[in-house]
Amino acid sequence: MSLLKIEQLRKSFLAPEGDSLCVVDVENFTLNEAEFCGMRGESGSGKTTFLHLIAGILSPDRGQIQINGKNVSQMTDSSRDLLRARLIGYVFQSFNLLQGFTCLENLQLTMSFADHSNQSDPYELLDRVGLGKRINYYPHQLSIGQQQRVALARALINQPKLVLADEPTGNLDPVNAAKSMELLCELCRESKTTLFLVSHDEKVIQNFDRQENWEEVSKSNCVKGEV
Amino acid sequence: MSSIQALFALCTRGVRQYAFSSLVASLAIAMSGGLFLGTWKIKEGAQNAFTLSSSGFDAVLGARGSKLQLILNAIFHLEASPGNLEWEQYEIIKNTPGVKEAYPLAVGDNFMGYRLVGTEPSLFDEHEWKKGVKYQIEKGGRLFSSNAKEALVGNFVANKLGLKVGDRFQPYHGLTFREESKHDEVYVIVGILSATGTPADKVIWVPIKGIQFMEGHASEYSTSVSAVLVKLRGAAGFALEMKYNKQGNQATFAWPIAATLAEFFDRLTWFEKVLEWIAYLVGSVACLIILSVLRNSMNERKREFAILRSLGASRYFITNVVLGQSLLISLVGALGSFLVYLIMNGVASHFIREQTGVLLDPFSFDLTFVYVFLVIVLLGLISGIPPAWMAYRVDISKNLRPSS
Repeated sequence: MSLLKIEQLRKSFLAPEGDSLCVVDVENFTLNEAEFCGMRGESGSGKTTFLHLIAGILSPDRGQIQINGKNVSQMTDSSRDLLRARLIGYVFQSFNLLQGFTCLENLQLTMSFADHSNQSDPYELLDRVGLGKRINYYPHQLSIGQQQRVALARALINQPKLVLADEPTGNLDPVNAAKSMELLCELCRESKTTLFLVSHDEKVIQNFDRQENWEEVSKSNCVKGEV
Repeated sequence: MSSIQALFALCTRGVRQYAFSSLVASLAIAMSGGLFLGTWKIKEGAQNAFTLSSSGFDAVLGARGSKLQLILNAIFHLEASPGNLEWEQYEIIKNTPGVKEAYPLAVGDNFMGYRLVGTEPSLFDEHEWKKGVKYQIEKGGRLFSSNAKEALVGNFVANKLGLKVGDRFQPYHGLTFREESKHDEVYVIVGILSATGTPADKVIWVPIKGIQFMEGHASEYSTSVSAVLVKLRGAAGFALEMKYNKQGNQATFAWPIAATLAEFFDRLTWFEKVLEWIAYLVGSVACLIILSVLRNSMNERKREFAILRSLGASRYFITNVVLGQSLLISLVGALGSFLVYLIMNGVASHFIREQTGVLLDPFSFDLTFVYVFLVIVLLGLISGIPPAWMAYRVDISKNLRPSS
């Protein structure tokens, strides 16, 4: 059963010269429940914009995005916020942890936005990612690899149905990148969460059963390398 | 963590992050609010306290002159006496129908700067300085007799000078203390007056004959009084005012005391206005500081807000974070303004007590405090609206870095 269904999705931006640049032009794209999909694509080709459209962070110019049977593009702002909090976990390349808050607080804040009963225990989850003894550490007191693990825990704390990972290993060394990917896949597998990861790193994409090429998914080759 | 707890955590973090600027904004609010409350309430409190401290008298009869000077001199023991009245005038008014009580006063001497006031002992026996309350003498003391060189010391004076029953002192001539003008007479303290919070605490009471016949005083002192304190029965005030102020030309009948005091306080309105405008000015600066603090913090917090939005926080939540931050700053400022007010009031109360003996109540509750508190908080919130609007409009996609 498909969790994510995208049809005729298009997003353009206005270039400084005044021209309209088409960044995302996806005819059809689906993801099934508990499916793992890795999409490769060059940096600046529009993958982040695609993820932002799926998460409801950006609104498309046209097209439909259905998550769990709900049409995201027709939702009100606040409904999209709630859907993002409850159904989607997001892992960023630069982790985007809240610097003024501890590991535990980063997770608790995320929990407060979803506000539903089906959430993981933050202490257990931090323990699971190997940070059980560092729950009160601030992000700047952690190594890059540890920060990434907090980001993974934060993405999964609300037991989302879909995890979107945007170059999650981009800031890590090869050893930490491999460990981090292993952990992310393991956690998603355990909770039967769909994982959609985009990266320019071939080594990361190779681990996925389903592999896609952004250039094939989106017809917006005109802006390749510019966004 | 509930949404409210999350909101509070983010607000306090914002305040902590810009602790110095936030503190400056709160201090400016506190100064403004305190100044505003101070100018308003201290004047009102002083006027009420002065009116209530008229010691149970309705009017003062004295030499021809200013009513205010007469009241300040006879009731509050301030300023110089405008002149003397013949003893006969006291006898006349005492026996006037409509006059319930009349007590003569004679002034002209001091001890260590505190005035000696000569009067009849009956003032302490019969007169109610407050409805149903007569003067009390502290245990171990008694009232002076009208023909002896005895003194009853006001509570404030006794505490200040450390005087006690049995102590002896020699008065000094004049209303201000000059070491070289010591009289030869020796007075013995026979009682300490219990505290009343009125000007009676600020003087040393002696028999009127003591002042009238004090060695070194001019002979006309012996048949004159400085003023007569009058308590009226019914509406006799109108008739007496007509008799003394309109038809006669030998004495002034200062009545009603409250109205004369109100005129006096009205003269201070310009000063009150100046302070009020300063308060408005400081208040406006405080609002601008809040605006500036929040606006500057917005530039740095855009990314944080974008992250929060990407995690599912709504626009309203982010808006409330900024408004909550301005609310916290203004709440601290509003509480601080009461502290500033209490300090101002404390200093003013001390000064007024030292000078007049009148006791102000700095802790008396007034609905004005609630209004001022609400206005300060509201102004703080209004100052937070422009940056809150910026937060509302934060573009998540643009502020989440980096993009691939």
